[in-house]
Amino acid sequence: MKLITAIIKPHKLDDVKAALQEAGVSGMTVSEARGFGRQRGHTETYRGAEYTIDFVPKVRLEIVIDDAQAQAVSEALVRAAQTDKIGDGKVWVTPVESITRIRTGEVGPDAL
Amino acid sequence: MRDARARLVADSALGGPAFGAAYAALLDGVLAPLFERAAGEEAAALVSLGSYAREELCPGSDVDLLLLHGGGRTIPALADALWYPLWDAGFVVGHSARTLKEAVAVADGDLHVLTSMLDVRHVAGDEALSSALVERIRGLAEKRRGRLVEAFATAAAARREALIADLLEPNVKDGGGGLRDLQSLAWMGWALGPPGALGSLVEAGYVRSEDLPTLDAARDLFLTVRVALHRVTGTKSDDLRLQDQDAVAAVALRTDADDMARELAGAARAVAWIAADAWNRLRATQRGPLGRIARRDRVLARGIVARDGRVTIAADAAHDGATALRLAVAAAVHDLPVDRQALATLAPPDAADGWAPDWSSGAGADLVTLLRQGRRAIPVIESLEHAGVWLSLLPEWEHVRSRPQRNAYHRFTVDRHLLEAVAESVELLDGADTTEVFDRDVARHLDRPELLVVCALLHDIGKGLPGDHSEAGAEMAVGLCRRLGFDDEALGRVERVVRHHLLLADVATRRDLGEEATVARVARLVGDAPTLELLYLLTVADSQATGPAAWNSVKAALVRELFVKALHLLERGEVGAGLGEERRAELAGRVGEERATAFLDAMPVAYGAGFSADEMAAHLELLDGGSTAVAWSQDLGQQVCTVVAPDRPGMFASVAGVLSLHGLNVQQAAAHTRADGMALEVFRVVDDVGRIERRGTDPVSDDIQAALADDLDVGAGMAERARHYAPARRRTAPPTPPRVYVDQEASDFATVVEVHADDRVGLLFQITRVLADLGLDVHLAKVSTIGDRVVDAFYVRDASGGKLGEPDVERVRHTLLGRLQRA
Repeated sequence: MKLITAIIKPHKLDDVKAALQEAGVSGMTVSEARGFGRQRGHTETYRGAEYTIDFVPKVRLEIVIDDAQAQAVSEALVRAAQTDKIGDGKVWVTPVESITRIRTGEVGPDAL
Repeated sequence: MRDARARLVADSALGGPAFGAAYAALLDGVLAPLFERAAGEEAAALVSLGSYAREELCPGSDVDLLLLHGGGRTIPALADALWYPLWDAGFVVGHSARTLKEAVAVADGDLHVLTSMLDVRHVAGDEALSSALVERIRGLAEKRRGRLVEAFATAAAARREALIADLLEPNVKDGGGGLRDLQSLAWMGWALGPPGALGSLVEAGYVRSEDLPTLDAARDLFLTVRVALHRVTGTKSDDLRLQDQDAVAAVALRTDADDMARELAGAARAVAWIAADAWNRLRATQRGPLGRIARRDRVLARGIVARDGRVTIAADAAHDGATALRLAVAAAVHDLPVDRQALATLAPPDAADGWAPDWSSGAGADLVTLLRQGRRAIPVIESLEHAGVWLSLLPEWEHVRSRPQRNAYHRFTVDRHLLEAVAESVELLDGADTTEVFDRDVARHLDRPELLVVCALLHDIGKGLPGDHSEAGAEMAVGLCRRLGFDDEALGRVERVVRHHLLLADVATRRDLGEEATVARVARLVGDAPTLELLYLLTVADSQATGPAAWNSVKAALVRELFVKALHLLERGEVGAGLGEERRAELAGRVGEERATAFLDAMPVAYGAGFSADEMAAHLELLDGGSTAVAWSQDLGQQVCTVVAPDRPGMFASVAGVLSLHGLNVQQAAAHTRADGMALEVFRVVDDVGRIERRGTDPVSDDIQAALADDLDVGAGMAERARHYAPARRRTAPPTPPRVYVDQEASDFATVVEVHADDRVGLLFQITRVLADLGLDVHLAKVSTIGDRVVDAFYVRDASGGKLGEPDVERVRHTLLGRLQRA
């Protein structure tokens, strides 16, 4: 099993969700995040005064999926989240040792 | 015993108070015989405490018992004979065995223990012993009255932090306005002496007799819900979880969860308010008679005085709405409670003739002042609400009263949320410590800060009405404000702010803020900078007043970005300018409203002001064609060449080059890229060498098509031309060096590169070729020729679609200047 983590632009969330559902993903965790890559923060000007934002708002998605689907899901995610502009984000995949469904105690792929 | 209990719990006909009584009877019926059987000759008595004594047991309640005794060897065995059967039957028993002296001593040393013994009922054994306990405990309570007042009042205040009425998942026992508050009042009554419980409070004037039915009904309601809750969940938890609310509502009240929420909210608010008032008065009494006599009436406003630490009316004050409002303002400003008696006399009679304030003569300003007090105004407004005054002042408030918002997002009922929003906006205006610096600065710049609190109060007033609550609310808000005497400018702003109060948050979190069209749409809807500033602050206040899930630094950053970008568009006059709107309307006349709006929303902001409606209609047709097309027309002695094609780097350069190759002198040009990636380029050219006159426009169009299909090497053609043709025009002035300016402030979405140079053949091609070679995308171009001088402004973006970084800016400047100086 794999954990797919993605950092994407907030306004792409709906598109990505739809694409993931089509790719057969049944659950995910979404959280709001702030960060920067090469984009860094930016400065806003309001009435002549400058205000610096160090971090750019992003959305983090976490999906646990079985090995066979990981590649396809990853690719679907990348396609859906792309805007070709800087700040599109990143997707990475890490292995999962074990997973349990809390309500029933099922482990492994049954818990996905 | 276990079975009997189970039967009771399962008997759905026994709800609320009936269940409590039946359960108590069951226990009595079991314990009395147990006691008789096990008792020896020594004096002893079994008494019940707490909810068992009050006969208010719920399925999950603990059973509290006290074995009173006078010492003796048989007592431990007696105790075991009582406790063990209960434990074996699965009851949770709070148990103790004490002599009378011990019991009183423990109660004397600990307020909690004392309180726990205030509800006591004889179950079995020596009645004289039980009565003695009751007497001694109550005497103790009277002795400790002062400390009890303080302890109870403090606990009640803490409960008010989690009001049942405000919570999505309230606790019916410990929540503000719930069972604990009722019990607390009754205990206080015992500390005041006979008759005890609520009766004593009424006699002493801390609670009004009219309030008793309300309190009793609330108690019955809470018990009914609590019993049903324990039945449904099978636990002793008093938290009314969202997932259980439907079942509980059906069992307890034969209705749905929404109705139950509303009933609970209404009852709890009444209890919380009555209790708060009672504790206030009790505390005031504790301060002692000396404190009261020494203070005289302090005049706070016309007809309003402060007396005994409460705000009340002077003897000669008129009994009308205006006075009520002034009373409220004085209470909020001076942070004193409102006198209930006084408020009751100010409540409107049935025939409300002459009661309503004359809003234009100061009452309107009073309302704004009241709101401006922020959080301090909330309890005062609650008081007005209970007396029926608030609703008479603002009838529009009716359908938001206690209206629950039962989803995970909202914490408060609608009316409470509106008041919270007012409090949050006042914190923004006053620059509280928790306010962001940016927000504070925006608040400081408001030209009419009072409009912010008014918008905060009214922004959700449309909830509960059919249709979209923003639209309905906007209409209602304007009506209300007009009645309050607001001027037209204020009415306009309030209307737009309420109508669009969700706009910034919606767009910021769901749309690409890097797209100018997104921002332009917002700016257009809001209309002007002052309204946008109001809307931004309201968005912040509204979100903070909604609940913890609704606002965090990520959302704040997004909303702020949208606000600043939209503000820039409005301040630069690029949006909302009169001319743009006129043209839009004209275009709508030609192609229909929907098509016109969709088209203009998809084009860059600057497009709308640059062409006539006829021209825009023609562009629309060309663009909708979807493929490369070239169209020609004539205007004022110039040829107008319009090209549409899928945008790509170098397109502008290619077309400019072809025109140049055909001897056409570009006087003016504009390039705009539509949101779907189709580029529109319009060139106004002068047919210097008469090519078009002789051969028509087809050769030019063919070459343009070829160039865009990469079948024509424009660069080679231009180089060839430069070798064979000398400049065609005489200079009227000495040559001026070319200049290149890079402006990062003119737009939030692109870097502006401006070139000033002497006009010459192929200049435009050269410049745009340099930009294309540097990998820059020309998003918008404005080319104009004034005499011999050309001023070309290009809005460019780098390969990743954003403004140029510093290294790129330097490269552009350097390369362009180099190229222009060489020629």
